[in-house]
Amino acid sequence: MVTSSIALLEANSVLLQSGIIEGLQNLLQPDTFIVQTINGIRFGFILFLIAAGLTVILGILDVLNLAHGELYALGAYVAASVGGFLVGEGTAAIMAPPSSFDPVTSFAFVGVLILAALISALILVPIGVVMETVFIRPIYERDQVYQLVLTFALLLIIANMIEFIWGSNPQKLDLSTKTAVNDIPTFELLGLSGVPSIVTLIMVVSLVVGVGLFYFFSKTKTGRIIRATAIDREMATALGVSPDRTFTLVFALGAFLAGFGGAMELVRTAANPGMGESALVLSFVVIVVGGLGSLRGAVVGALVIGVLQNWMTVVEPSLESAAPFAVMVIVLLVKPEGLFGTWGERT
Amino acid sequence: MSETLLSVTNLDAAVEGFQVTYDVDFAVERGKAVGYVGRNGAGKTTTFRSVMGLADILGGSIRFKGTELTDLRPEQIPKHGIGYQPEDRKLFTGMTIDENFRMPIWTLGDERGIDDEDAAVEDVYDIFEELSERRQAQVENLSGGQAKMVSIGRALALKPDLLILDEPLEGLAPIIVERLKEYIEEINDRGIAVLIAESNVQHVPEMVDELYVVERGEIFDSGDPMEVSQKRDVQELMQGSGQE
Repeated sequence: MVTSSIALLEANSVLLQSGIIEGLQNLLQPDTFIVQTINGIRFGFILFLIAAGLTVILGILDVLNLAHGELYALGAYVAASVGGFLVGEGTAAIMAPPSSFDPVTSFAFVGVLILAALISALILVPIGVVMETVFIRPIYERDQVYQLVLTFALLLIIANMIEFIWGSNPQKLDLSTKTAVNDIPTFELLGLSGVPSIVTLIMVVSLVVGVGLFYFFSKTKTGRIIRATAIDREMATALGVSPDRTFTLVFALGAFLAGFGGAMELVRTAANPGMGESALVLSFVVIVVGGLGSLRGAVVGALVIGVLQNWMTVVEPSLESAAPFAVMVIVLLVKPEGLFGTWGERT
Repeated sequence: MSETLLSVTNLDAAVEGFQVTYDVDFAVERGKAVGYVGRNGAGKTTTFRSVMGLADILGGSIRFKGTELTDLRPEQIPKHGIGYQPEDRKLFTGMTIDENFRMPIWTLGDERGIDDEDAAVEDVYDIFEELSERRQAQVENLSGGQAKMVSIGRALALKPDLLILDEPLEGLAPIIVERLKEYIEEINDRGIAVLIAESNVQHVPEMVDELYVVERGEIFDSGDPMEVSQKRDVQELMQGSGQE
């Protein structure tokens, strides 16, 4: 009894010294808590877009694509170029950012911005198709070590290509683009300041894409054929499903989602050389927490990791990176299969 | 004059590098029912999987309506008019009965000339009426017999000329076996040729027009179902293979 009390006191002392308790008190301030949670949900949605592609590819193709994070980064870089062309301040741009909020102009501008993100993500589709058909398809039957080595090589190649094309400096949209979006009142209408409208935009668009993804897999013929292939590839083949075509489609979809996530994130921040690696690592944590290959698990895992990491920026910034991994370790120890089942049986 | 739908000649097939069938010859004529019985491990499933392009074929020929199937990829075979119920059902879990029935139509309906998806599915429910009331049930919630029916129904959805059934009666209660036999006979009465594998010779002869007995990957005997099944060496062979 005495020993455990001393241990508790010691633990408390460590927490006090490290400022964790003070950080927790800060986090629990209503405004801070709401803002950090909303930011975490925004980050969770982006993580979901990346992890969804990763988990679908893993669940159906049985390939852990280490280059997936670079597709996310590539999406951001491509969006920097496409966005600069479509909504930049240059004379060639389709639409310049409005200087102040006007319902029609501002929402039209957001529409063009989303169009830029969609175009950027679509540009990644043929890249995904080439990756699957040329590089990954020949080694499906080989040991997974080959797949890891190959996709790691693709990671490095894409990262180098990014640097070759855009250089090592971060790429971002014009500041006026961000300002134009933030001028649209969103959370301010709810009396909440501190959450820029860019966050709202990312959350809403990602939510729509996420809902669309679930609809695709649960209601459309193609989506259900993909699920059937994930559940039993051989039986699906015996019913006329072409595995090659399905795998290419899945890989293209994964590339689209990663690219779209990168493009949407560019609205908020700059594309930079390291963003692909950190996205890959966190996405991996997400799919381990949610269940390898589970789309529903990816949603829950992404929101848990996104919110937790944002909370930790207030509680104890030095633990921000470690917190997601701590969750992953706990899940692996308590529920090794992840919070949800495997891909295919349920979307 | 009868038309040969499926003609298997000198089939040598392997599983994971080991040869399982040796010089297998058999044929199925349009509209007929053919039994393919043998003990567990005799090579029935490998033979059927060979027809569907799912086994490693070392030699021989498999022709269906004049098309050499061994030249085709597995996904190209069903569109020629072969429906397949695998040994272990292999239903798409997490989906409903209805979704399982529609799946082949979604993949090959156009190529099979099915322009009314709902009508094609209703044709399947017309045979398996007891599934009609549960069409939105998840397949993992079905009994063993109902799951077999869904697996057969799914194979029927593309209106095949030949239905391949791999042990459709295996592991079912006697009353369910009798119901399934009636369903299979009804399917055959509709003009669809049926090729049935069973490890229990007892149920098959009364359902089929011709019977093949397979042992150690080779055709052991074949001919009139009643005559073949009554032969002493066949009965001795099949003893211990699950006969009741």
